[in-house]
Amino acid sequence: MAAKDLVASGNTVIGPSILINGKLTGDEDLTVRGRVEGELSLTKTLIVEPSGVVKANVTVKNAVVSGVVVGNIQASESVELTHEGRMVGDIRAPRVIIVDGASFRGRVDMGELPPGRSLPERSTPRTQLRPTVRSLPPPPPRPATAAARPGGASATTPARKPGGMPGIVRTEARTPPPAPPTPPVVAAGAKKKVVLKKKK
Amino acid sequence: MANTVIGSSIVIDGEISGDEDLVIQGTVKGKISLRESLFVEGSGVVEADIETQNVEIAGRVTGNIQASDKVELKADCRVVGDVKAPRILIADGASFKGNVDMDVKER
Repeated sequence: MAAKDLVASGNTVIGPSILINGKLTGDEDLTVRGRVEGELSLTKTLIVEPSGVVKANVTVKNAVVSGVVVGNIQASESVELTHEGRMVGDIRAPRVIIVDGASFRGRVDMGELPPGRSLPERSTPRTQLRPTVRSLPPPPPRPATAAARPGGASATTPARKPGGMPGIVRTEARTPPPAPPTPPVVAAGAKKKVVLKKKK
Repeated sequence: MANTVIGSSIVIDGEISGDEDLVIQGTVKGKISLRESLFVEGSGVVEADIETQNVEIAGRVTGNIQASDKVELKADCRVVGDVKAPRILIADGASFKGNVDMDVKER
């Protein structure tokens, strides 16, 4: 996937045997297969390939790290550590994606997390912030009601999953956009039945 | 073919070294040392001392150039600095100011 990205977009490539020591700035995508040390700032995307090593303070829009980064990354959009990525340093970006297999030591700062936005919610469970973010309780043991009327339930709410509660809470929040903040989840469980019946 | 390309909007201030061909379309200040070929394209601006095997310059270079094989100044290039290499080619239309030294012992 990273290879596809680079063929499509990058016209600057630092080859595997190249070492750049100093300050690098630019307005285009940059693919690093060699070494860059010092300071790196781009207005577009930095791609560090598996052979690439960046020892620098990095300021970019997006960063995709499949190689090694030692230093801080500040991104205006996103930072992604792929399964081959290794990084030591702090990440500061509204979206931080760390996939399984990546190794990372440092701090993550996603800034203000606006409540109700699906975006940080999607990306955080993979980061090391996991324990702080999960606000939804584990699904309570009540799939019995759903199973009691399988035909009707599946027809009206196809989004319903065996996950139960969290999925439902989310769909409820989405369907009426200007809805008031949903009450505590325990109460929502009681109300929800009513809502579903109304729909039918 | 060349593995490394410095794109036209890139500015590097520092040192570049390596063992592969390097194409410069952007700006490099500082120092460049390679064991292969350096290509400074028409949009490229180099303010650096250069040490390579081959250099082909179509853009602007300010600095001393030392090549172990060949330096080629193409038409429309602008080069200011001393050039030292066993083979130096200056094309019609190139502008160049500096010393030329082809006196290299190892041949």
